[in-house]
Amino acid sequence: MARLSIRNLNKVYDNKVSVLKDVSIEAKDGEFLVLVGPSGCGKSTLLRIIAGLEDITSGELWIGDRQVNNLPPAQRNIAMVFQDYALYPHMSVAENLSFGLRIQKVDSKEITERVTTASRMLDIEHLLERKPAQLSGGQRQRVAIGRAIVRKPDIYLFDEPLSNLDAQLRSQTRIELAALHQKVGSTVVYVTHDQVEAMTLADRIVVLNKGHIQQIGTPLELYHQPANRFVAGFIGNPSMNFFDGELEIAEGKKLFHFEDQCLDFTSAPTPPQSGRYVLGLRPEAIKVLARDGREAVGSVDLKPTVLLLEPHGHEVHLVAKIGKQQAIIRSANPKRLQVMESAKPGDALPSTIDRSSLHWFESSEQGHKISF
Amino acid sequence: MEAKKRGPVYWFFATLLTLVWILPILASLMTSLKTADELSRGKFWTLPETLTLGNYVEVFVTGGFSKYFLNSLLITIPSVLCILFFSSLNGYALSKMRFPGRQQLLLGFVGGMLLPFQILLIPVFYLSNLLGTYDTRLGVILFHTAFQLGFSSFFMRNFIKTVPDGIIEAARIDGCSEWRIYRTIVLPVLKPALAALATLLFTWIWNDFLWALILIQDDSLKPITSGLQNLKGQWIASYHLQSAGAILAAIPPVLIFAFLQKHFIKGLTMGSSK
Repeated sequence: MARLSIRNLNKVYDNKVSVLKDVSIEAKDGEFLVLVGPSGCGKSTLLRIIAGLEDITSGELWIGDRQVNNLPPAQRNIAMVFQDYALYPHMSVAENLSFGLRIQKVDSKEITERVTTASRMLDIEHLLERKPAQLSGGQRQRVAIGRAIVRKPDIYLFDEPLSNLDAQLRSQTRIELAALHQKVGSTVVYVTHDQVEAMTLADRIVVLNKGHIQQIGTPLELYHQPANRFVAGFIGNPSMNFFDGELEIAEGKKLFHFEDQCLDFTSAPTPPQSGRYVLGLRPEAIKVLARDGREAVGSVDLKPTVLLLEPHGHEVHLVAKIGKQQAIIRSANPKRLQVMESAKPGDALPSTIDRSSLHWFESSEQGHKISF
Repeated sequence: MEAKKRGPVYWFFATLLTLVWILPILASLMTSLKTADELSRGKFWTLPETLTLGNYVEVFVTGGFSKYFLNSLLITIPSVLCILFFSSLNGYALSKMRFPGRQQLLLGFVGGMLLPFQILLIPVFYLSNLLGTYDTRLGVILFHTAFQLGFSSFFMRNFIKTVPDGIIEAARIDGCSEWRIYRTIVLPVLKPALAALATLLFTWIWNDFLWALILIQDDSLKPITSGLQNLKGQWIASYHLQSAGAILAAIPPVLIFAFLQKHFIKGLTMGSSK
């Protein structure tokens, strides 16, 4: 077990393409750290750098109290689970599990013991004599994880380990991974592009985009206090709605104009100055008003026009148009569900905005969050 | 897979082609079982009147075939092993390692394959004189190794390219040295490719006539192909002996094929990844 420290790390490939820019991350001992970002954001490269499969252009990498910049992978005491499992095809499951230990010349009694413990933990004891070709996808995944466990590494590295599994197996394996981490207690660095995995597994999430760290924080911090538009849009499913508009503060009134709409935010938290801003609203922050008879109850902010309904059973996603812009509205509240589920394309639904969950961003390319 | 229904046209041409291929072999087989006397009466296309294995015995006893046979083995086997070893190393480096000049090196190997071998005849002859390997088995082995390395390295490189990078990286994390990765991970996965290449190489080198003719003069070092020439007969063509010799010479490549073909399993890397 060990902490992981990445300090001002840069990675430039031979062809002068810079994939990681001034990345600094501190992971505590035993922390489950998830790296997320769209494809090409550098998250896999970062993981491969930690593993020692790619070299560092500049910066420092520490595992525990050792600087490992120039150590070969085997001496870093890490274990990696690959996206496509990477099992040795000509070896049995037992041989796959023990291969690394045999290379390190671990005592054979110890090897048997560790292989038995790991295979029991993962429920693959009955598969030990099989070859990888004779296993299902889920079983191969377990073997790949087992190969990491037997090494008792300081740090586990996972490279999108669930992306090849079908949906059901994926959520099941996700739970098992979380349980496994509780049991083993080692530091984990986990790469994924799936924000559901990130939210559910992580102690802390690192959001990467174009080689830059956008934000590091707990899942709820990222959800409730995204540092910029990118994080706000990336975390949360369905993602946040953005409205680019003009805030006008005058005569004791605060009005936000966008498209052909005008919202009265006099009693809501807004930036203190007038100007151009981007308003971010989570799908659940736009609330379709419940009806009493035929009348909508409550003050009406917007009247989104229904385009499409996505019933999920416990909740409904409603794709609607506000002005010319498309927005997604979500609700699990039974009264609202009733209204939303009976809506037809073209209907305008009177809605209100939850003023306690407004996100304000700069109207610039970076779109930093505005704090006030 | 279910067998496809084939029409009569298919069967007609398939049979015709098979006959065309097999006829010369059948003819030599029959000739090899006839006596010189029978052949001299012009009976080339009839079944042997009296079956005799005498020609085969004669080829071995007076034709010196045991010597030629041994020479062929002593040339072919080391050559094949050398080529397999070097080409698999080349293939591994060319497909899985990043180093400057990699692309140029690969082009060199491929480009070498395109040269017509005729232009090599005189330079190779001079070179073997210069190196003092003229008229030795080593000279022929060295030549075959060098000559086949271009194609073989290219072949191996293409096969190793299909081996997932993940298993090599996993081995690196597991603490394998590059040599050990090659030996314990890459080589076992390469088995089908090695078997296929070995069969090809064995056939080519075993059947080589030209280079042995150029590089070896001493009759006691000649392989079976140039040895066959000695059975020509001085005044009368001894077709019966030549046929027997040719049939004998053709047996080892066939055996090698039969022996190695079971290793041509496709997709040995199956199960390594998704």
